[in-house]
Parts: sequence; C-alpha cells; structure tokens
Amino acid sequence: MGNASLEGLKIIEMTEAWAGPVCASLMGDMGADVIKVESFPRHSLTRPTSPRYATMPGDGPVYERDALHHQGNRNKRNIAIDIRTESGNQILKKLLSDADVFIEGYAAGKIEKLGFGWKDVQKINPNITMISIAGWGLEGPYKKMVTLGAGLDATTGHLSLRGYPEGDFVDTHPNFHSDATGSSTIFFAALTALLQRQKSKTGTFIDLSQWEGLVWQFPTILAEWTMNQRIPERLGNDDPHIVPHGVYRTIDDDKWIVVAAEDDQQWEGLCKIIDRIEWSEISHKYSSIVGRIKGREEIDNAIESFTKQYEGFNAAEILQNNNVIASPVVTPPDVLLSSQLHDRSWHQTITHKWTGPVMVGGFLWDVEPDSLSWDIPTALVGQHNEEILIELGYDEKKISEFYTNGSIGNHYEN
Amino acid sequence: MTQPLNGMCVVEIGDSIAGSACTKTFSDYGARVIKVEPFSGNKIRRMPPFKGDIPDINGGAYHLAFDTGKESIIVDYSSNSGLEVLDRLYQLSDLVIFDTTVEKTKKLRSMINGVKYPSTVSITPHGMSGPFQDRRENDMSILAWTTRMYRNSMENMSPLRNAPGSTLVQIGHTAAAVAVGIYWGHQHDQIRRDAEVAGVEAILGNVDTGFVSWIFTGNLPERIGGQLKTRYPTGIYPCKDGYVILSANEEPWFSRLCHAIGHPEILEDERFTKDRENNWHAFMEYLGPYLDQHDKNYIFTHLQEHGVMVAPVLNASDLLDDPQAKARKSFVKIDSAIGEHFLAGAPFHLNKMNDKSFKLESAPKLGEHTNTLLKELDYSKEEIIALFRAKIIG
Repeated sequence: MGNASLEGLKIIEMTEAWAGPVCASLMGDMGADVIKVESFPRHSLTRPTSPRYATMPGDGPVYERDALHHQGNRNKRNIAIDIRTESGNQILKKLLSDADVFIEGYAAGKIEKLGFGWKDVQKINPNITMISIAGWGLEGPYKKMVTLGAGLDATTGHLSLRGYPEGDFVDTHPNFHSDATGSSTIFFAALTALLQRQKSKTGTFIDLSQWEGLVWQFPTILAEWTMNQRIPERLGNDDPHIVPHGVYRTIDDDKWIVVAAEDDQQWEGLCKIIDRIEWSEISHKYSSIVGRIKGREEIDNAIESFTKQYEGFNAAEILQNNNVIASPVVTPPDVLLSSQLHDRSWHQTITHKWTGPVMVGGFLWDVEPDSLSWDIPTALVGQHNEEILIELGYDEKKISEFYTNGSIGNHYEN
Repeated sequence: MTQPLNGMCVVEIGDSIAGSACTKTFSDYGARVIKVEPFSGNKIRRMPPFKGDIPDINGGAYHLAFDTGKESIIVDYSSNSGLEVLDRLYQLSDLVIFDTTVEKTKKLRSMINGVKYPSTVSITPHGMSGPFQDRRENDMSILAWTTRMYRNSMENMSPLRNAPGSTLVQIGHTAAAVAVGIYWGHQHDQIRRDAEVAGVEAILGNVDTGFVSWIFTGNLPERIGGQLKTRYPTGIYPCKDGYVILSANEEPWFSRLCHAIGHPEILEDERFTKDRENNWHAFMEYLGPYLDQHDKNYIFTHLQEHGVMVAPVLNASDLLDDPQAKARKSFVKIDSAIGEHFLAGAPFHLNKMNDKSFKLESAPKLGEHTNTLLKELDYSKEEIIALFRAKIIG
C-alpha cells in the first residue's frame, strides 16, 4: 500500500452494501491489510448475478461488473468463505486469531448463531476490536430490524426536511447519506478502540448503531423541537436569513447553478455582474441584508435573468471572480470536465479483469509525506483465497479440498 | 474508567461547521480540544436556531451540539504576537485541525515543521492547490459539485440540497477519520503527517455519487422523484397517518412483502413475474389498500417482522419518544448556557451500552478558557495583560 499510517493493522471485514465496505477501503487506503470475507455461496447485495441498472455491459460474471460494488471495495484482499461449514468456520477463526479489527454487518443476533459473537471472538483473540454495525444497534426493540441508508434517513428526521417545499412529499428522492457518513463513523470507532487498547491491553467490542451514528449530524432538527417546540419545515434551497441563496437555470436545458451572497461584500460583487449596481448603493432597499430578505423573489428573478445567458461553469467563473458564492450543479459527466479535479489528479484509472481500464472516483483525502494509491482494484470473488489460506498455514491439498466441499469458492451460480 | 482518547490534545482553528464537527467526536471520547476563536466568535456560534429565537453567542444549536466539552480561547493571529500564541498551542497539541481559507491555512501550517510539532489536517472546499483553491463556497455550493443535488431532483425541476449544514458535517467527519488515522500513525512511527481534506473530493469520492455508475453504464441517474415505478416498491409511500419508506424491489424482500400484505399470489402473477416494470399501477391495487389501512408504526413493525426493509418517516417531534432511542438513551439531557436541553448521545458504544467512554460536557462560553490556557502556555500575568491590552487575546 502507498500510505503507512495504518501499516501493520490487520482488518477483517464481513459487511455488505456501503458503510462497512467503504470504511474498510479507507483503512486500506491508509496502509492496513484489509481482508474482505465475502459471502459465499450467497452473493451479496452489491454483487447481483443478473444484470441491473449499475452493471457494466461486457463479458464475464455480472457480479464482477457492478458499479455499486466497485465503489466500496478497493484496496482489500478477498476470500470467499461459507462460514456455515466446519472448514469455513475454522478458516474465519484463524483469520480472526491475529487480526486487530473485525467489522461485521449482520442483523443483530445472527453473528452469534454463526459462532462469532463477541464472547466467541474474544476467546479466539482477546486483543481484537469487534464492531457490529446493525442499523439500529444490538440492543433495543428495533435491534432485529433491517434497513438500508434510506431507512435511516427517514427515521432520523433528515428525510422530512428534504424535497420540494410546495411539491408532493413522495417525490423526494431516497437518500443514502448515512452510507457515506457511516463509513467515517466506523473508521473513527475502530481507531478509538485501538487507541484504548494501547492503555487497556485488551480488546473491545463496539455496538455501533448506524442510526445513532447519523442522528447527531442534524443538530437543528432536535434543537428546533426542544428549544422552540417547532418542527422544522422543508426549505428547499432557501435560507431564511440569507438572500440570495438558491439554484437558478442556466442557458442549457435542465442545467442549473447555485448562487449565494452571504454578506454585503459578496452582494456588491453580484450586483455588478447582474447589472444592478444600484441595488448595492446605501440608498437602495436591497443594499442591506434585511432589505434583501424582503425582496427574495425580485432578486431571484434578476439573478436568473443573468444565469440564463450562460453555461453553468462559465457563470460560476464570472461570479466567483467577483467574490460571489457560485457553483454549477454538476452531472456525472461534468465531473470529468472539472479543471480543478484534473489539476489535482483526483480521478483514478484502474484496471480490472472484467471491466478493463476504467476511470473511477478518487480518494477522500490526501496525506503527506505518504501517498495514497489504488493498489488493489476491487477484488474478484475469492481472488485471494489461495494466497490468504497459505498464509494461514493450509497447503494446496487442503485448499483443493475446501473448494470441493464448498467451504470456499471463487464464483457464484446464477 | 478513563476515556479512550484521554491524554490527547487537539487544536481546532477555523470558522465553519466542518472543523467543529471534526473535533467534536474527539472531545466526546476524552480528547482535550482547544477551539481557537476570533473576537467575534467562531461562525458556528451565530448559526440558528436559538432558544426563543433570541440570538446568543453562547446558545446557538450548532455550537451547543458540536462544541461539547471543548475549551475556548480567543486569539487574533493576524499579527506576530498572536502567531506566537498559536505556536505555543501547536507545541502543546497532538493534532491541529485547520478549517479556514487556503491562504490562512498555508501561513498557519508553515509554522508547523519539525519533530516537536503535531500532525495536521487542513479542511478546504476545493483543496490547497488548483485553479479553484480560492473559491468561496458554502454548504450548498459544495454539494452542487458532487452530483448529489442533481440526483436529488426531478427532471426539469430545481436540484435540491440535503438538510442545511449536513454537507459540511460530512466533510468534517471525513476529516475526523483521517485525523485519527494519522494520529495513530504518528504514535507508531513518529512520522508527522499533513493531511488535506478537500470538501468536494471528500464527498465526490464517497459512495452515494452517480459518477462511477455513469462511467460503468453510460446511464445518468433517474430523476423521477421518490417512487421508482419500474423497480418497485422502493421509495416513499403514503400510509394512514404519514409516510413510510420501502426498499423491497429486489429479492428476497419483494417476496416477503407480498406474503406480509397477504397477497402471495402476486408472485405467480405473470404481470409481475414477466413484466413487472410496466405494472406498478396494478401492484398498487394490492399494496395501496394495505398502506391506507395502517399507520406508519404498525407498518414498520409488521413488515419488519416479515424481514421487509421498511421505515417510518419521522420528524423532530417523534425523535425523543422513539422507543429505540429511549431504550438506548440515544439522546442525553445536558445543562448548558441555555439551561437543560437534549443532544444526541454516543455515535458508538465501546464495551457495550452505558459505558463511560463517551461523555457529553457543555459547550464553552466564548473565550471561557483564554486565561487558564495562557497560564498553561507559560505566559506570566504581566504578559497576559500585555496581550489583552493589545487586543491579541480576549
């Protein structure tokens, strides 16, 4: 790996979908040896066996060409084990015996039934940090309930704030914000436990409710209720205290730009550009913040008259050059066009057996003097079975036996 | 029992939600966090809501929630005397988090060089290099760069942001992850590191973006609102007393749902076995009456008993009384500048529930710890007065 901050740590990841897998990739980015224990013979949620909307067309197994899987599984080795078999169970025990962190994403209670609850794992390796990431945690009346990120979005109150204020609520797009933020929560939890281990010299179990990992991030929802007994309303893109603060049409059909002026200096720059310099003069009602709040509609119309003359990237450039907050609302193809991202070499091109050379999104952060690198593109199912099993002390004959008896595998049946 | 991050010291220098969100988790798990503020206070202190809608520099919702347990020191570091105070703070700390303009960050970070200094994390909208490095952005304009606003919309209608502030929180929390990572590294190999979190990259590189899917398939995200009518049921559905959100379009959840609502025959019906994408309206003749007859909490528990991924849409008034939140004590009563109020509790529990690794302490008043900190930094009484007279500290 390119970055050494987490070098020497061994992470065993047994999760699906996004939050858990992405956390493990972030650890891999920073130099940890991450081993993904892939579900087998059942394929995971992000490895469909028949083509769907996120499948790259082409040859080879469908489950190796799914974008959603590739997004969350770089920089890991992959071993596909049926842990319900006696041999598979033994392999996982060996993997855990010298691991630093074990992340599991089963519904509450399931991992115990498989023989890998905290009491079992602690016996295998008393120094390990084990993290369970059930949606609502391992205790409480919802512990058995299952969810994806959209369900967490709904039950933390975030969904109730999104959507078009005047529109039908059912038109609000499901949101997977918690998958993105969940990965950093799990990451932080793991390192916190490892830092504790330095003092306690013993392992730790972490009950991580993804709901609790998300709800603290929306402090105003609870505050409006507990401070002022109000339920926050859907605001769309408005800010009640800042005008302008919105999204405006550009010259291109269904292409948009964000514009905001948060203070008088930004406002003056905006007035110059939209040909309303008099609106920034002291005698004009819109020269003050309070005056602008009363004139939201007229100001929005004037801004859109300007933005509709330009392509979004150009309008943003002009506005930014005059101290105004402005950004194009980008589409996926626009991400390829960003001169900023190119200048920083953010995009990554990887080569994968079944996708071929393909461009993907870059890293979440950069670290000096280390350098991050995409050392392992998303691994194939069981790609590292042999390599890992030999490290664990199994010989080729035994490994062959594991394939024969179905304890391990390297492909799924359709 | 000591908290896991006891003994660690983090200095936060910045002026947005991101820096405060970054250091909050360190503070709540035992690290000492010193918040360096301007005389006017960090911007986060001015962000609503306020109790009774009365602005209060010590009583804003974001400040109360994100500055828990921190120490506040007022330093004007635009002059050499202020920079000298910062230098002493740097040497006291294990980690410095910058969340200010690129120009200021470069200047302040340039003082940190050598083994006696800590690792750093710099949070900026676009990063510290490139043609956009000096651009002014806010919570919404950063999100606009990440394809999320585009996806959160319907065709030919305005793209939509997430909840106000949530983009900056996500950036801050991403910074917290790399911060604790490089702190771990520094502890083990004694190498000081400088990490950089560019807000746009931190969000664009995370999972819920349409970029990779588009690269793989050439297809742009569907902008058709909350209900996918070709791959159903997924999205928001009205019920007797509100809304629920369903994720039951794929197997085994679809089959479970059909059984749960008492219509297993759907699974044999050719309209759904062979041509499901064109028969949403026909499907709703089965699902619609079930949703109309039951309230969101019943649907939640009933369908979940059958293993269906469903959740009720809750709002602020539901949160404190939510049975799960109550059982887990997910919200904690805290006494602060505005009196008693509730905050969200631990984002994760070490050694099972109710351990002492997480602790919420009230947010500091502006400049509450200036004097005690300066003494700790070895300034004499006369030197502190001199700095105060010169408006370097407050």
